[in-house]
Amino acid sequence: MPETPDSTGDGGAVATKPPRDGLEPKMAYAPSAGIASRIARSNAWRSMFRHPNLDTPRGRALQSFSNFFLHLYPVKIPKRVLRMRYSFRLGFIISVLFGILLVTGVYLMFFYTPSVNSAYGDMQHLRTGVGFGQLVRNVHRWSAHLMVLAVFLHLVRTFYAGAYKKPREFNWVIGVMLLLLTLGLSFTGYLLPWDQLSYWAVTVGTNLCQYVPVFGKTVQNLLIGGPQIGQSTLLRFYALHVAVLPLSLVLMLFIHIWRVRKDGFAVERTSTGAFEEEATALPAPAVPANAPAHLYGGRTRVLGVVDRESITAEDRSVDDTVFTWPHMLVRHVVVALGTCATVLALGVAFAAPLRGLANPNLTPEPAKAPWYFAGLQELLSHFDPLIAGILIPTGAVIVLLLLPYIDRNPSTVARERKVAIVIFSSLLAIAVVLTVIGTFFRGPGWSFIAPWTHSYIEM
Amino acid sequence: MGSTRREFLRNSWKAGGALLGLAAGWTTYESLRPLALPAAGANIRLGSVSTYAPETATYVTAGRLFVANTGTRLFALSQKCPHLGCRIPFCESSGHFECPCHGSKYDIGGEWITGPSPRGMDRFPLSLDGDTVVVDTSKTLTGPERGAKQYFKPAKGPSCAPKA
Repeated sequence: MPETPDSTGDGGAVATKPPRDGLEPKMAYAPSAGIASRIARSNAWRSMFRHPNLDTPRGRALQSFSNFFLHLYPVKIPKRVLRMRYSFRLGFIISVLFGILLVTGVYLMFFYTPSVNSAYGDMQHLRTGVGFGQLVRNVHRWSAHLMVLAVFLHLVRTFYAGAYKKPREFNWVIGVMLLLLTLGLSFTGYLLPWDQLSYWAVTVGTNLCQYVPVFGKTVQNLLIGGPQIGQSTLLRFYALHVAVLPLSLVLMLFIHIWRVRKDGFAVERTSTGAFEEEATALPAPAVPANAPAHLYGGRTRVLGVVDRESITAEDRSVDDTVFTWPHMLVRHVVVALGTCATVLALGVAFAAPLRGLANPNLTPEPAKAPWYFAGLQELLSHFDPLIAGILIPTGAVIVLLLLPYIDRNPSTVARERKVAIVIFSSLLAIAVVLTVIGTFFRGPGWSFIAPWTHSYIEM
Repeated sequence: MGSTRREFLRNSWKAGGALLGLAAGWTTYESLRPLALPAAGANIRLGSVSTYAPETATYVTAGRLFVANTGTRLFALSQKCPHLGCRIPFCESSGHFECPCHGSKYDIGGEWITGPSPRGMDRFPLSLDGDTVVVDTSKTLTGPERGAKQYFKPAKGPSCAPKA
């Protein structure tokens, strides 16, 4: 039966079944006799999916409302959000990488025992005796590296876009915590293969703790659970890596994404821009004589009680929004496939390193920290550990956490925030240069070498 | 009146919650805190003084330490670099301890020569039981300050860190 458009926007389908209950939207089901159509009309199917797939505005909106996963997205989004350079899809890429890490991580858990006697053997067995074991480990490793990189780029992008400004200050804070959790996950995972690389990188990393005044030794003892890295360290790092940190990260990630929805998409805004003027120039609503005062103080009623600051006055003469499904989703699917393809290609091309069994009596030359801590290690070779290992990184994290509250300039336009951009860019450049030197230009005994003579970095 | 019944109850809940948090924190700390330090604490007998030739450092696996004879004195030096905990090997050719991680160097007495380490190598107390040297690994003596140059001698040969 050919469909004819009608005024209800339901695609002209004919009702063949009454609604199951009051919760089901009043919608018509196509009376086709095919088996797929019969299943779609069945009570069981409709208890799971409460309405048919309808290619109409109403159908797409219902699609978003009634699907748990699509519910993460708004029903409609401004067209400019679709542009690649709006966010470079970094946040989404990170979510995909985290998903890959969860799946490959659970796979690896089936073949791994967190014991100093068997951990290294398990890694060797994974390489030689488990189907796709080496590949899955490589993909896990590469996804972890890329996730650290993507989280870092996401932070940099958010800074330059000024997207941490009101009302998104707290979401920036959560983002910085997510960065720390990502580094924590990467660092705890580093020890698990129990080879020379992991043993000494973690030795160097945990010994940094002892320079923290007052608590340092206690924190180090809690972390490694003994006088030196051993069985209790491995077990602690394992528990942190597979349970504590992933759960914390998932929780924070949900809050992060939820707040992106609640705080709205970032818009470019100058200090005296049109947006703000329009938003604040809205006439105050007439207050009913007997109304409770707190409901109306500084708030405008638009479909309920809304903070006036969160209203973004946009020119609505042309509707510039598009449906998330399919416009945004199809882009996300492409980005997700691209991310999977990238880590798979890296995993096929480059194997995750596995050096000799961890040997507490032989420090390899050079003992390098993971690349994202190489800048810190480089700094450590120049300054006192208290300064380079504790004060500078802790200070950097605190400044990052407080950034939205320190930078009170409301503008997001680059030419109106030169000071912030110059300071941030300088610090960023220093961090990148230190990391590149520490990663590529340091050889045995931390001597300066040219990277083209020999590479001492192992990913 | 200072506080209403409601305020009192609300504050009681807060105080109770804070106490509960403290108790949870304390029990977590107590259960995760390492109780015994298994490797440390033993007295190790190191044999006769005469087994340690002057200007040599001998590694003792049981104590994870070096017995260094400076020519005038005997020291038990912890293998752990005071900088970031790497194991410091003794370089026979130069006669110095050379840390491979960040390039700290120490003389035969464990005194700091160069590198990012904040002090010299940590020591364990030695005692004599007849002719036998005994080291007590339960006590760590913090290494000498950076300025100490009592046992310093210039490198007698090439350094062990390969030059790139």
